Amino acid sequence: MSRIAPPKVMPVYKRDPRTGVVQSQDDVCPVCKSARYMNPSLRFLVNPECYHKMCESCVDRMFSHGPAACPIKGCGRTLRKHRFREQTFEDIKVEREVDIRKKVGATFNRREEDFETLLAYNDYLNDVEDITFNLINGIDLEETNKKFEAYTRAHGKEIEENAQMAVQERQSFSAAQKLERQQARERREAARREEEEEKREVEENRRDVLNRLASGADAETVAKEGQRVQLKKRMDRQAATERQRQLQAAEDAHSECNNKFVIKGLKTKQKPAPEALVDPFGGLRLVDSYFTLQDDYIWEGIQEARKDVKQTAGGYDVRDYAHRSLVAAFSGLGVFVADEITQRDQLAQKDGVVGEDVGLKDAEMIHAP
Amino acid sequence: MTQHLNEDDLYRTSSQYRLWSFSPEGLAALRRKTHELAITRASQYATKSNSYDGQGGAAVDCLTSEECLRLVQRYLDQVRTTSDHFKWPIPVKATAVQYLARFYLSNSPLTYPPKEIYKTVLFLACKTEATHMTLSEYARRISTPADEVLAPEYKVMQALRFTLDVRQPYRGLKGVLMELLNLAEGRVGEAEGVETGGAKALQAEMQALEMPPKTAQTMWRVKPAGKIESKDQMDRINAAYSAARTILDGPALLTDAYFLFTPPQILLAALHLADEPLTSFYLRTKLPLDSDLRPKILTTIAACAELLDSFSGSHILSKDERAALEQKLEGCRDPSTRDLVGSHAVAKRGGDGGEEAEEKARKKKAAREKHLKEGPAHSPVAKSSSLASG
Repeated sequence: MSRIAPPKVMPVYKRDPRTGVVQSQDDVCPVCKSARYMNPSLRFLVNPECYHKMCESCVDRMFSHGPAACPIKGCGRTLRKHRFREQTFEDIKVEREVDIRKKVGATFNRREEDFETLLAYNDYLNDVEDITFNLINGIDLEETNKKFEAYTRAHGKEIEENAQMAVQERQSFSAAQKLERQQARERREAARREEEEEKREVEENRRDVLNRLASGADAETVAKEGQRVQLKKRMDRQAATERQRQLQAAEDAHSECNNKFVIKGLKTKQKPAPEALVDPFGGLRLVDSYFTLQDDYIWEGIQEARKDVKQTAGGYDVRDYAHRSLVAAFSGLGVFVADEITQRDQLAQKDGVVGEDVGLKDAEMIHAP
Repeated sequence: MTQHLNEDDLYRTSSQYRLWSFSPEGLAALRRKTHELAITRASQYATKSNSYDGQGGAAVDCLTSEECLRLVQRYLDQVRTTSDHFKWPIPVKATAVQYLARFYLSNSPLTYPPKEIYKTVLFLACKTEATHMTLSEYARRISTPADEVLAPEYKVMQALRFTLDVRQPYRGLKGVLMELLNLAEGRVGEAEGVETGGAKALQAEMQALEMPPKTAQTMWRVKPAGKIESKDQMDRINAAYSAARTILDGPALLTDAYFLFTPPQILLAALHLADEPLTSFYLRTKLPLDSDLRPKILTTIAACAELLDSFSGSHILSKDERAALEQKLEGCRDPSTRDLVGSHAVAKRGGDGGEEAEEKARKKKAAREKHLKEGPAHSPVAKSSSLASG
């Protein structure tokens, strides 16, 4: 007899608009078993001591009178009310890991500049990660905690210094950013003011000209004067802006760092020394000792090749052929085979090596079928 | 840290210098050793065959080392003729001849008769020197089955010690030709350390050169009444070049020149035989008078020229003599290398291990077919499950 399983009811997921936490209808507090169905504003809190979640009302009820044991079965750790907080990550394991990393990071806060070599820095990072890993997965907890405390005791001052430096950096960075924004704003303002000024002047000038014409002056002279005045005003304005800019530059020269666009976390890197050019011949050079290559050879083969488009279109230089032929003509001219080979064989015999040891011995090949 | 190499250092890096250059005594010793080993083997299998026949240990009439050499030389010439028949460029010819010569330094005709080897060698040379012809086309044109051409190839490669580069004098001769023509024209590329009077002086010196001696191989002979003009000079140079080229094509390949001398020495020796005054003049512009290499180079070139000169076409075996030698060879050759095609096929299959593998494959196949026929129900696993459900 087969049972047909009842259709499963899919839980309804909703995202709380205020906190952004994903809530489902059947979230149940493990302590008081109250469901969201009954209290729509149910909020869960978590304590970093044991990462057990409970509803807010339970927390209020149990821990308002001081520290008490965790009500979850099997966990009896003493919890305090002020350490309870909202869970940031969906996965509780991630939450725990992030907390551990924050803790470790607060202690092991050395920087790359503090190390002499990159290898040393990487070793340090590796050790820190080992400790973190042990803490997260609960391996060798005693030893790891001992290491932790030993480090804290030994380098307490440096840790503090580094923390201070970090705080200061952050402050100066935000200050620099603010300054940047302010300057941008001022520049925009100045531009707008300039535009307004220009418009006003043009209007004035036009009115002035009209007045003059109306009062009966000569049209041409009025026009010319009007233009002259306009030009003068423009020149004056340009001179003024130029002076302003120079002043600003002078000011900048004094407070240099204010104008730099600061990126947080940038290390002052030294430019690596330019790589030496790769020598494809590894330091070997062929020297022509028996001849010097001439630019042109009257031999008809060379002349024909030079004129042949098929040869030269690709960039081939017939001098390569001439050079190769001449090297072939002389490579070995000064090599005296009889003497050199006899000498080599004698040396080989003296050393005990039988001739050229390339693997196969000549005389043995007759036996190879 | 620059290391400067000159052309001689470059030659010393080549495999031809390292592995295939010998002193005359060394060469003779190597050949003697090869021949002796072959003779020992011959007597071994001769006694074996004799014991089967029940006859007494009659001394086998083997080829002497002299006859072996001449047979090999005959086939060197045969390679040359065949390469000309295919109309292949001369580098292929030279490479093939040298491969065959090198092969027979470490192997004897008693073990591998040259008749079966020379076609393979030529095919290998055409592949190496970039004038490749497909195997089927080659086999067809040479009227031989394709596997006969391929069968000895690996042995040839082993004998060559896998060094396939043969340094040849032909390109160098072209270079010398180019330089000589420029010298006649009044242009010179001075070698370092050489005291010349300059281009014009050299040109004049060239024009004043004496005539080639009667024994010279060049075709050029000046008109007795005429003055030397530049055109005559060019003719002289070109004639010397073609004469030298003919010498390089024939005697140089068929003697031991490649083992005993380097390509520049060979080509200058050929030029020396062609037109001696021209060559001496040329060497004067190349070698500084005070260098200590100069006399040595000149003596080496002279020795090489002597070697080339001492060769004559009549040395090569005629057809009948060759046939006679080959018949003699038939009687004393190594029987284990008779079927080269067969042993090559075995080697390709993987040798003796191939037969065992075949056995295993057959057994597996039979077992699989049986299993399919009887069905999975007959396997022990299936039986137990059927029991459980039942």
